Order: sequence, then structure tokens, then C-alpha cells
Amino acid sequence: MKLTTYSTDQAGLQAFYEAIIRAHDTYGPVEKFGKFDFKKVNSLSECDPESPIPRTMSVKPLFFPKSAKVMKYTATSAGTELSDTAEDPLAGKRVILGVKHCDARGLQVLDAVYKWDYIDTDYEKRRENTILISPRCDQAATHCFCTSLDYDLETLDAVDVAVINGADRKIYLQARTEKGETFLKENATGLTSANGSAEAEMKKQYETFAASFRLKMNYQEINERMQGQFDSPTFEEVPSSCVSCNTCAFVCPTCHCFKISDEKIRDKGVRYKSYDSCNNVYFTLMAGGHNPRPVKYRRWRQRAMHKFVYYKERFGVNLCIGCGKCTTSCPVNISIFEVVTKVASSMQE
Amino acid sequence: MDYTKQIQDIAGRLFSEGKIDIFIGYRNTGFDENQVPVLIHQYKDVDQLLFTDKSVFNLANYLKYEHTRNKRVGLIVKGCDSRALNLMLTESQVKRENLYIIGIACEGVVNETGEKAQNCVECMMPDAVVYDELLGSATGKREYQVNADIRELDEKTLTDRVEYFEEIFENCIRCNACRHSCPLCYCAKCCIDQETATLFHGANTTSSAFHALMTWSLHLAGRCVDCRNCEKACPIHLPLHLLHKLNEKVIYENFQEHLAGMTEGDRGAFYKYSLSDPDDFIL
Amino acid sequence: MEAEIKEKIVSMEKPHMEAPPDWQPVIMGILCNWCSYAGSDLTGTSRIQYPPNIRIIRVPCSSRVDPWFIIKSLQTIADGVLISGCHPGDCHYISGNYYARRRFLVTKKLLNFVGFHENRVQFSWVSAAEGAKFAKVVTKVTEDIRKLGPLHLYKKENS
Repeated sequence: MKLTTYSTDQAGLQAFYEAIIRAHDTYGPVEKFGKFDFKKVNSLSECDPESPIPRTMSVKPLFFPKSAKVMKYTATSAGTELSDTAEDPLAGKRVILGVKHCDARGLQVLDAVYKWDYIDTDYEKRRENTILISPRCDQAATHCFCTSLDYDLETLDAVDVAVINGADRKIYLQARTEKGETFLKENATGLTSANGSAEAEMKKQYETFAASFRLKMNYQEINERMQGQFDSPTFEEVPSSCVSCNTCAFVCPTCHCFKISDEKIRDKGVRYKSYDSCNNVYFTLMAGGHNPRPVKYRRWRQRAMHKFVYYKERFGVNLCIGCGKCTTSCPVNISIFEVVTKVASSMQE
Repeated sequence: MDYTKQIQDIAGRLFSEGKIDIFIGYRNTGFDENQVPVLIHQYKDVDQLLFTDKSVFNLANYLKYEHTRNKRVGLIVKGCDSRALNLMLTESQVKRENLYIIGIACEGVVNETGEKAQNCVECMMPDAVVYDELLGSATGKREYQVNADIRELDEKTLTDRVEYFEEIFENCIRCNACRHSCPLCYCAKCCIDQETATLFHGANTTSSAFHALMTWSLHLAGRCVDCRNCEKACPIHLPLHLLHKLNEKVIYENFQEHLAGMTEGDRGAFYKYSLSDPDDFIL
Repeated sequence: MEAEIKEKIVSMEKPHMEAPPDWQPVIMGILCNWCSYAGSDLTGTSRIQYPPNIRIIRVPCSSRVDPWFIIKSLQTIADGVLISGCHPGDCHYISGNYYARRRFLVTKKLLNFVGFHENRVQFSWVSAAEGAKFAKVVTKVTEDIRKLGPLHLYKKENS
């Protein structure tokens, strides 16, 4: 496969970003309260596309917002009238700068569930209209373990345009998808064509990156062992310090559970779709009062098994992408890596 | 401030004498300098325990969960934690006879950047107020200082404050980590959990974040002990202490210098009154 | 006849938001059953006029008022809230309004701190015999809120 590649230097890259921000609806990682979150930007100085991992939030909220309007309704004497909400503010053509590969990979994993039996048109539209531009990681953060999971990060096509740091301060911009190729060709003003020359640099960068990982697991083995671990007593021990908040699911790039709620004043109301989390006590509470997962370890078991076993069984990809956001944001730093490896290694003979 | 050795000894002694079922302490994360809470069930795990100035989390929080209820528990409390524990005892959430409390005469913990945390600089009661055993030497109650951030915000104009707080409520993702890491938020059904809310709705919008955080902070007014578990738990790092410190300031200045949880039996500022309370704001 | 020049009313908290020309403030009145509600009744039976902008809710005691009611009112339809109860010492339940007074002070200060003008939430003591005072209080609160303009903070959306 021949990939369109351009080369430039640091100043050229800045100019490239600035041109994009001027011409397109652009989002980028913006610092808020000391943490990075993806927000709309009007100039390059507002955001830092190179900002390091771990960031608090992934790009997920730009595709699956924390709260989105589903429909509106009005109660009249004749009955209830339903109507569509106004146009989706996130569905237009847009570019997201500074996306990390784990974020982009998360979207790829989410596609499987969103394009399954029911196609979520909002999500579909947002995905189609978005160009993801991603600087490659040089250095793994404390809780990262993305290289250990069952995909080849080296040849990953989750982003549209990859930004690769080469030798002699050279920077390569490489289109990784068709969408990205069209976009890059349209915006190539000031860039030098350098087809075929980035591969070696990319490999080198990937090697240093892969060597910086502290956490490594044998995914195939973990996945196989976990399948028989539903009744493992280790699940009762390991997450005992969990405080049952929803943080892990809300910051996770691949968690996709949601709840439906109404906001109503007088006779008019809006129906919202908002994030939900399986670590929440009420997540499985049924009408009538039965709750199949009333205790913490059962909820944690669901979370770990869904991330490492069930999703893979159903869609063929692992739901956890190893970005470590949940561990970083957790109030008590429970590491999903630690839980999963402990459970897998506790298999009884 | 390093009581690792003493705490390991005490916990070991308690386990071997069969006095406790669970010991709640801190351990190293195993990959960085930070510490995480750990619940220990056996004598053999005692050597994981640690206590330094990085032991930040308020362990009284774990007394509200099902797996510590009605068990005999040993735990470590710093000054602020012990005040929260005092309130839990007063509010009948835990039984005193089930607890073995190791109090610390705290010298202050550090924040993410390694400096002394703001609440420790402004701390009024660094020593544990309820304990079976006290480690370190008590220094007593200190003078009240108005929080530096509150003072700064008070000087701003109304419209500036509106902008500042709108950003906070807009960024909230309603994960409820603040409510879940608060030892005094022990309600089995909380009014800010969307699923059980009766008076407001569950969407994660700015207005519902405002409603939840305001209601939550008013429920904690006169009870909050400024341990800042909520703020440390917040994934977005919102300055949640502002709401609590403002309540604390108003209560301290107007209601006979009331501070939450200083003595057992004190239920909080809103559970008592004085005839001389300020009346001038009422028409 | 001279043309009446009306000053444009803007929201106090958000000066860029302008009130529609026919805007009228909406005030949520939460009154205690034993004094203030009877007081408002007396205002009516004595035929004293007061602005019709207030929407009254009756509660058993001013201490029944959860700060939640205030927040909820401000987030839905109200531009301001008036809470009224018995004078100190006159509470039907002996000490209810003393407890309420503490809560009101903290609620008022906290709301003011996060950006609500202090006149958005007001409190009064009105006894069952003070029909004239009730009319005066409602007039004052309505005028205060009218000056502050419509409230645009953290409103719940229903459209």
C-alpha cells in the first residue's frame, strides 16, 4: 500500500495546523483546571496538539457526548406530540487535532457496537464528517499498556493523518485512510512530497515507544484464562478499595453505556441520552426491586469480563484498548491491568 | 512524618490478638510514589502497609460500604479524617466498639506537585480527635484562616464569578466520584444519584451539574471537614473545595465559630440554633 | 401624549442578555402555613394591592424549606424567590424558624458566591396579622427582581 506522505519541519507543522484552524471547524486538546480535554479552538495558541498522555478525557465526548438531546415532546390535551431536536451541533465537517492513537483506536472499537444491529445515525454522521490528526506517541505514560493488546499498533489505521517525528527535526505527515488522503492533498500547501520515506522513521519511533512500556501482558493468554474465571474469588479481593463511582466508565474511550432521562418544565420536555456506568449500583436495578449486581465485586467482574472477554467474543475486538485513563482518573488508582492479570493468574489447576 | 513501622506493628498485633477482621491502611501503588488505600484481611499482608506524607485518602470513607459494615475494623485517621469519623459515629453510621482507631498527629500531606496541600496549610485541627492510640506528638488546635481562593473570589465582581463558576459546572461530567469518595455521603440512596433522584432529572447537562453540586454542598454544609477527598477524586480536577469552604466560612463567622466534627455528639451547625443568629438579611 | 421611553432591561448576571419587551418577573413565594400564608390571606381580605408576579406555595413551616426548593425554582421558571415564615419566637413548632434562619443564611451566601445576585433570594418574617407588611414585602421583592432582569443562570432546557 502506497501512502501519501509529506515532509515538513516544526514551523511548517505549526503553519499547517494554523491553516486548518482557519479553514475548518477544529477541535483540539485544551487545558482546563490543569487537565487536557478536547474543545473547539479558534487559534493554535488555545490548544496544544502535542500535549502528552495521560489526558483526562478522550475524543469520545465529541462522538458520544456526555449528554445529548434525543427528542422533544409537548403534552397537549389531544395527547403527546413528539418532535426532532434541532440539528446536531457535532455532525458538521470538522477536524480534530492532537488525537492520540489510543483515542482513535477507541473509536474504531466503538464502531463495532454502533454499526451492529441498529445503526446510530448521529454517531455515524459524526464519524464520517471528522478527520482525526494524530501525533505519534514517543513515550508511554505510567498506566499505558496499549502495545500488549491484540492489534498491531505499528500499522494501525485508526487515524486519518499521522504526524511522525523523524530524524533531523523532520516531521512527516502521512495519510492513513482515503478520507485522510483527500484531506491531506487539499491542505498540502507548503508541504514537500515525501512518499515512501517515512516508513523507516516510523518503525524507529515505534521501537523506542514500545520499549518505554512498563506494563506488558500476554493478551492471548489473559483472554483465554479469563474465560473460565467468572467464579474466581480473586474478583472479591482485588477491587475492594473501589468507591463505586462512575469515573472509570466516563473517561474510558470505549465505554458506551447510556441512560435515558427526561427534563420537563410544565408541559414541554426534552429527552436526553447521557453516560452511564456499570460500576453504578443502580445500573442493573430492575423495576420491582431486583438487582443482580448489588455488590461491588460483581460489578467489577462485569466490567473486567466485558472489557477482556465478552466484547471480543461478540465483535472480535478487545474492548479495552490499554490507554490507562481509568487508572489515572480513579480516586483510588485501581489498575484494570492489575486486576485482570491477577485474576488470570489465579486460575486453579 | 513516617509511621510505617509503628502501623505495621499495631496492625500485626491486632490481627494476632484477633481483635479485628479488616485493617484499612495505605499501600504503595507499586509503580509510582503515590499511595492507594488497601483493605487487609490477614496477618500475612501487614507488611504492605505504609504511612508517610503521601497517605492522602480519607479512610473513613470505607466504613460506609457493605463489606466493612458490622465487622471489627482497624483504621488510620489523620486530623481531618478523625473529624469525619466523629460525625459518622455521632450520626450512628459506625459503632465505636467495632473500631480500633490509630490516630495521627498529622504534619500535613503533600499534593500532586509535592508541596504541602492547601487544606493542610490552613488546617485547624491536625491531631486526631478520636483514637485508641495516637502516633506523633499533638500540637493542638490552630487559628482559623479564611481560604485563600475564597478571599480572591470574593473580591471579584459578580459577573466575573458567574463566568468562573459556569466553567466549573460546564466541565462537570456527573461521574459522582465526589459524592462516592466523601465519608459523610453515606446515604444508601443519594439525592444526587440520577437514578434515585425524585426532584430533578438525570441528564449530564450543565444545569443538572449545578443542581447536583449545589445540593450536595448544602447537604454537607456544617458537616464538611475539609479532607478534600472529593476534590482529589474529581477526574476533571474541579475546585470543589470552593463550595465547601464558603459554607464553612459563613458558618464559622456567623454561628459561634462552629467547626464540624470536633467533639463526639456534635451533629453539625444546622442541627442547633442560637437566638442571637444573624437576622439582618431577613426583611 | 409623550411617548414613553422604556429603559432596556438586561440580566444582572449576564449583561449581554436582554429581556423581551413584555417581560414580567416571576417570583416563587414559599410561605409558612401558620403565619405568612395567613398574612397573605389577610392582605387579600383587606383588599390591599400587591404585584401579581408572585406564585405562592404553602409549606407547614419555614424550616420545611429545603435549599433544594430554592435552587429548583431558580432553575425552572422563577427569576427570584421569596421565603416567608413566622417571626422568631412565634414558630408554631417552637423553634422551626430558628433552624431555617441558619440554612437561609448559608444558602443565600452560597448562591451569591456562585453568581446569583443577593436580591434573587429574599426572606421575610410576616405574621398572620401583618397583611400590610406582606404587600410591602412582595412589592419590594418584585421591584428588586424587576431591576435585576430575567435570570439566565443554569436554567433547565425544555425546548
